[in-house]
Amino acid sequence: MKGRAGLALLTATLLISASPAGPQSKPRGGGKAGAPNPYAQRFATLCATCHGANGRGEIPGTPALAGQHSFYAITQLFLFREGRRSNEAMTAVAKPMSDADLRGFSDFIGTLPPVPAPPPATPPDAARMKKGAELARQHKCLICHGADLAGGQQVPRIGDQPEDYLQMTLRGFKSGQRVGYTMAMGQAVSQVTPEELDTLAYYAANFRANPAAPGK
Amino acid sequence: MPRTVLALSLVALTMLSAASVAFAQDEPGWAKGRPKSDEAMKMAPVPAFPVPTPADQLPVKKLKLPPGFKVEVWASGVLDARGLRQGEKGNVFVSSLFVANKVYVIPESGDHKPKVIIDNMPLATGIEIHKGALYLATNTKIMRYDNVEANLDKLGEPTVIYDKLPGGEDHSWKYLRIKEEKLYFEVGAPCNLCDPGEWAKIFRMNLDGSGLETIASGVRNTVGFDFDPKTGYLWFTDNGRDWLSEELPNDELNVVTQPGKQHFGFPFCHQGNIPDPEFGWGKSCADFTKPAALLGPHAGSLGLKFYTGKMFPAKYRGAMFIALHGPWNRTKKYNGVYVAWPDGKGGAKVEPFMTGFVENNTYLGRPVDFLVMKDGSLLVSDDHAGAIYRISYSGK
Repeated sequence: MKGRAGLALLTATLLISASPAGPQSKPRGGGKAGAPNPYAQRFATLCATCHGANGRGEIPGTPALAGQHSFYAITQLFLFREGRRSNEAMTAVAKPMSDADLRGFSDFIGTLPPVPAPPPATPPDAARMKKGAELARQHKCLICHGADLAGGQQVPRIGDQPEDYLQMTLRGFKSGQRVGYTMAMGQAVSQVTPEELDTLAYYAANFRANPAAPGK
Repeated sequence: MPRTVLALSLVALTMLSAASVAFAQDEPGWAKGRPKSDEAMKMAPVPAFPVPTPADQLPVKKLKLPPGFKVEVWASGVLDARGLRQGEKGNVFVSSLFVANKVYVIPESGDHKPKVIIDNMPLATGIEIHKGALYLATNTKIMRYDNVEANLDKLGEPTVIYDKLPGGEDHSWKYLRIKEEKLYFEVGAPCNLCDPGEWAKIFRMNLDGSGLETIASGVRNTVGFDFDPKTGYLWFTDNGRDWLSEELPNDELNVVTQPGKQHFGFPFCHQGNIPDPEFGWGKSCADFTKPAALLGPHAGSLGLKFYTGKMFPAKYRGAMFIALHGPWNRTKKYNGVYVAWPDGKGGAKVEPFMTGFVENNTYLGRPVDFLVMKDGSLLVSDDHAGAIYRISYSGK
């Protein structure tokens, strides 16, 4: 095929980059190198009360934003703003945001390093963790979320998230109450029983990718 | 997964609990056939970005065209811009796919600010304008809004002309053309690779939804087709299967010369000469219609439009423009607007026309569909950047 030569030329000019493609590689919203990022300040006043200054808060049912990916964050801010993902507090926060705000906040969130959850009072139940790991394999959770449950791009980090938040989220996808940016999760949980969803939430919440180096 | 299969598997689950493990192990359609390597496990379809690129950051200055051509921003802030069609009064209609759930209208003159005329309609992707009516196809039904350009402030309720589309997610969105009072549309394969049953075809029907006929079979997923004004033949792009390898198979450019009689290979044979490792056994590629040209591995070839204007040099009249959205199922990204010339012998010559949308292996823009304007300039939609570009020729 003759177009093939053109393609080869075109692809030859591309840099082979190991860095993840996507919004993380875009310039940080509004901030020049060296200048303070205005969204760091706005995050501190608008988001930190619930989500924590470092991206991990203590309010029940509230996800950790530390270690979350900017592409995932912007899809969720978008869904809150559009009223598709329903949460009164977050819709109120997102409603007045401009497109530039969505970019600025999500790019800033993408810079927050993961923060491990405080160690539980008692170690997780080994049998339940084993069952959770089996279910995660069986239901192909790792296909998108990764063996370390850290996600990437539009796929969220789910490892080490609060259990009550994970449980609510999975049940929401199952009932259709929680709308995703794509239909992937609704499809993924459609054949998982409620008991199994709760076990998966328990597993992901207590999952530590590398116990020797928490928060890597 | 199509709803009928899902419903069946749920029934089966309640009937036979021992089968539940087998059903639960079903992967999403796009992941079928994926190898278990770490690199492959990281790949997944990338949805359009939820925020349009600001007008002053659109990549027009980075785009490369043949000498004498110029590209500029025609409209920005058009979230998830997909299909392009034009009404008789000049209004440009823009559809969307997974993100925006909208259809926009943009007046031909003025500041080209998009106005939402249909909202909260998932997969509002297939559009066509005919005799003053807007035809709109989602993954479940085809509708008609009459006298649309007189009712842009309030379209009113559409007439549903067909509601038996299979729905679902994989390859379920639509592309429409109308020719000689027949509506042409496709139903893609509900998977990366599977026995598509009654789907993976291009169909046509009367404008009232009656008289459904098959035009082409074995078509995995076409999201772009148009009729050659010279021969009347239907040319279409077809997205090849994923996961076979980084470099294979190529997307196909196909031409229908015997409507209803040709099978283009899916799922048995890819790009005219590769028997599928699973479905190809006992089949021969010789039994299927070969592509007119190959469009690149995992190219995501979408919109296709014959150039019917007079602004571009003579060599482009009678050629078709093809939008390569660019691969997700390939490590190295590429895309752009391509141009193809029928060679009169069932084949076609393909060349890149506008490239430069990829930087550091990341898409800055992803072309989708075309519109030839009355002055002969060419509009190109970009769902990644939420923009519409205008290509013109001045010879300078």
